[in-house]
Amino acid sequence: MIDQLQFWAVLLCLAFGLFFTFVSTVGVLRLPDVYSRAHTASQTDTLGAGLSLAAVALALGWESTTIYTVLLLFFVFLTNPTAAHAIARSAAESGITPLTAEDELESETPDDGASAPGDTAVNAGEEGGDHA
Amino acid sequence: MAAERVLVPLSDTVTVRQTVGYAVRAALEDADAVEFHLVAALPYDVAVPEGRSLTEDAEQLLTRAENWVEEDVDDTDATVEIETAVVGTNEYLFGPRDFAEVFEAYATSHDIDRIVLDPEYQPGQTAQLIQPLEREFDALGLPYEEAPVDRPARHERLIGGGTERFDQLFATFWISYGFYLILGDPTYPFDLVTGAAVAGIVSISLAYVTFTFPLGRLRSPLRTVRFALYIPYLLYEIIKANLAISVVILRPSMPIEPVLTRVNARVRGGLPLLALANSITLTPGTLTVRADDQRLIVHTLIPGARDDLFDGALERAVRFVFHGRSGARIPTPRERDDTEIIGGDDV
Repeated sequence: MIDQLQFWAVLLCLAFGLFFTFVSTVGVLRLPDVYSRAHTASQTDTLGAGLSLAAVALALGWESTTIYTVLLLFFVFLTNPTAAHAIARSAAESGITPLTAEDELESETPDDGASAPGDTAVNAGEEGGDHA
Repeated sequence: MAAERVLVPLSDTVTVRQTVGYAVRAALEDADAVEFHLVAALPYDVAVPEGRSLTEDAEQLLTRAENWVEEDVDDTDATVEIETAVVGTNEYLFGPRDFAEVFEAYATSHDIDRIVLDPEYQPGQTAQLIQPLEREFDALGLPYEEAPVDRPARHERLIGGGTERFDQLFATFWISYGFYLILGDPTYPFDLVTGAAVAGIVSISLAYVTFTFPLGRLRSPLRTVRFALYIPYLLYEIIKANLAISVVILRPSMPIEPVLTRVNARVRGGLPLLALANSITLTPGTLTVRADDQRLIVHTLIPGARDDLFDGALERAVRFVFHGRSGARIPTPRERDDTEIIGGDDV
């Protein structure tokens, strides 16, 4: 019974860990610029690595090596934001302007005006200008 | 006699006043027109958190030193010019060689004739630099001299009070011993003995480096306990933010709304600010791009994450860790008007 439970808990943790790593990969591929990609890259480290390490800890059971996985997670949680911040800051320092909501609208309006939701005000304004 | 140019590197030490006094006396013996260059070197890039206040400290020290020079030359009839400068503001100075190179560059560009060093010169927080710095000056062929000063015995000054020293040693010892036993086996006598030896060496050699601030006997353990309470809360926030971001990324239309914001955080000092900026970056959806003292520039990906940031839940939690429950009761950044949406060009 306990073994069964442990097995399914390990499986569940691994599945969710893989899921968040997958989402993070999709995010890195889909998101537009370096700043927004840094957001989703941290998902791999937080929940992706976190749940996978939790699965490892559960699979090992109550042993001294289990503590190592907890320590590992602790160090990942320290280094991940440091790395993300370093990437963002060096991007800012090398003069990369982050793509903000307004810029995105401007670039999208010419070919596809209706794609992004929640931007109707500016869209309407620009389109009105074009027609006039 | 020709004018002489004297470079005095300054840092905030007990002997800095005497060093300036000696530099003035020695220079006026040899020449009747002297140009004093008072220079403070910053070990950190000014863009680090607290960089601004470090620069201000250095500038205050230079102003004080300028007054000292004026005081000392007051009763002579020499012509004296004073120039002050803060150097090393756009790079990290790691070791004596970096400092020596910065001073050499300054000496070359200003045609310096001699350098007067403070025997206690200590630009960083951790260690005195005088001997390795002198070696580097020798290697570079820079003429320098050490100011003869009277100073209190060094051990008094380094350690502060006896209890403070004991607390630092005590804390470092038990933290390193605990860590050693976690990695080793707490029931194995060999590990217990070697762990005690290692922790002893670590605490004696590194206690001052680990704790650059005084520890409170009640406050510091209490903070550790509150930090332990903070971790589950942070995990909850991380999971919540992860789910929100995952939904947005997997939706085919991907409704992101990246916006750059500036938040003035009400947490002070290195460690609390580090905890807050790290936590903000750790939750997907908000990313600290710059931290300049309490002004954090945060890139937010979705409106939900932005609202959470402006509601300041993490900020309150960090204040709870460091200042207790009463410290956490503050208005949200939105209520106290400490938030601002900025354009992409303002990074």
